[in-house]
Amino acid sequence: MPIDFEDETDNLRRISISERLDIQGTEEIATKFAALTASANRRVVLDLTNVTFLASIGIRAVITNAKALQQRGGKMVLFVGNNQAVTKTLETTGIDVLIPMFADAAEAEKAALA
Amino acid sequence: MTLSVLDSVAELLLPAKESEVRHASTWLDSACRERGVPPEQINRLDICLNEALANIIFHTGGACLSPNIRLHLDVQLGQSINEASITVSDTCPPFDPLAVVLKPRSQILAEVEPGGLGLTMIRTYSDKLSYRYNEGCNQLKFSTRWIEGR
Repeated sequence: MPIDFEDETDNLRRISISERLDIQGTEEIATKFAALTASANRRVVLDLTNVTFLASIGIRAVITNAKALQQRGGKMVLFVGNNQAVTKTLETTGIDVLIPMFADAAEAEKAALA
Repeated sequence: MTLSVLDSVAELLLPAKESEVRHASTWLDSACRERGVPPEQINRLDICLNEALANIIFHTGGACLSPNIRLHLDVQLGQSINEASITVSDTCPPFDPLAVVLKPRSQILAEVEPGGLGLTMIRTYSDKLSYRYNEGCNQLKFSTRWIEGR
């Protein structure tokens, strides 16, 4: 499945999504994505560096889980690395204003824990 | 599913189902590559296509005369400016996406509605966008352009 995670610390989790976040790709990860962001007070770095295509349904999933996480006292930040296509989509849709977005992994982790 | 290729033109007829959208993307990628469309323009067309198909599949409530959607690709290679266009035709009730006034979105995560980005993305990623309702069909056409050598 093109979604994986690693717990960096007790409350910092890195979730990595890869491949296409179109209708099919988003449906494939939806349940696990929601489960991985379900804990209270969890800080999450969502790694989108290996996403090859991002449709609005994928953005909807990111927003939905970021909101749910925030409501439980947690926080999500986005790590895009040098993925220019995904960066452009997130910028043109204004998602980078809603959810902090970083090209640098260390900065993303620092922001998630702030 | 039917695929026909005539020079700069290709067509695909596909069922209006979620499971067919990935197939449409695969067809688009292959048909565009065969006709010399650059990867960036293919990606932009793919985004527009995904959003257009999602609108039909999720928002028409099955109120369409035909269960199928027709895709028409037209690639025009000029001496300087090139253009690739996709026309998406469906028999659902008339819907002009160009007439929709997009509401300002909240810039606060807790207040923002997660959906409603599809039309924004089609408008952003197309260089040219047109709509007409003709003989019972919605026809949404979006195009990307590029200059040879760039």
